[in-house]
Amino acid sequence: MNHSELAVVEAHAADVETSRLEHGILMEASPYGIDKKKLGMWMFIVSDACTFAAFLFAYGYMRIGAPVWGTPFGSSSIVNGVVMTAILLSSSLTMLAAVRASQSGEKASAKNWLGVTMLLGTIFAALHLREWFKLIGEGWRLFYNPTGGAPQFGATFFSVTGLHLTHVVTGVIALAFVARGYNQGRYDQSHVETAGLYWHFVDLVWMFVFPLMYLMNAH
Amino acid sequence: MSSNRELTMSSYVGIGVGLMMIVGLEVILTFQHMATRTLLFSLLTLASLEAFVAIMYLMHVKYEQPILFWTIFPATLFVLIFLCYFFPDAFRMFSMRLK
Repeated sequence: MNHSELAVVEAHAADVETSRLEHGILMEASPYGIDKKKLGMWMFIVSDACTFAAFLFAYGYMRIGAPVWGTPFGSSSIVNGVVMTAILLSSSLTMLAAVRASQSGEKASAKNWLGVTMLLGTIFAALHLREWFKLIGEGWRLFYNPTGGAPQFGATFFSVTGLHLTHVVTGVIALAFVARGYNQGRYDQSHVETAGLYWHFVDLVWMFVFPLMYLMNAH
Repeated sequence: MSSNRELTMSSYVGIGVGLMMIVGLEVILTFQHMATRTLLFSLLTLASLEAFVAIMYLMHVKYEQPILFWTIFPATLFVLIFLCYFFPDAFRMFSMRLK
């Protein structure tokens, strides 16, 4: 092997070593130009969107199939829903602020914005549960309609909003873990950004749940 | 579609206010005593508009490489449309059961 061939082999070996150090194993860069955690979150979001869509389609078909459908929401429930929407939208903005702060290395600011986002998520969950208890107090159950109409209203409403509420509570817990890890230096800004993507998706789902489950059932 | 120039935080607040205004419009439409089908169509259109803005700006798809958008969204929309289309057909399975 002459000197020039040796130089080519050494250069290739150096490229392989650089790639191994950057990616952990020998692999090409992502064609999407995003972090693998973020791509994984997008895959999760797509599958979760299909789950929510299936629930909402089931609700739609049941509603069309029922001769009389329950419309239990008065103006107070709608106002409560608008407030919940405002809180969730605000939490998306505070999440954006947390991502921005983490990207610019402002650790304390990122931690604070994550805390505000968690607080807003908790308030949203509390308002949601208040609405649930109000309905339960009026006699609505999973399979019982106190007004004598289609009993499926309770089943669809509690399942769809319950699934969304589960996502909000899970999101708050996930944000707490990310904030703790970020504060301790175990997580970096890419973890905050990935958690933010999930949080915005929860907000996005509510944009369909609120008009379909609340506004379409207002009296 | 993709752009390296991200919005400022005040622009994002403006987007948030715009989304809240759409929600307000949805509430106003709800109390206009429209036909159920018209109301459903209007609410779904507005909700889709909100979702598009949220995906592009809040979820930053506008600032990612276009291949991400073209890989994920047409396929997801295709699945969702066919899910809706074939969902009622699933009830046929009850009559296909062996007696």
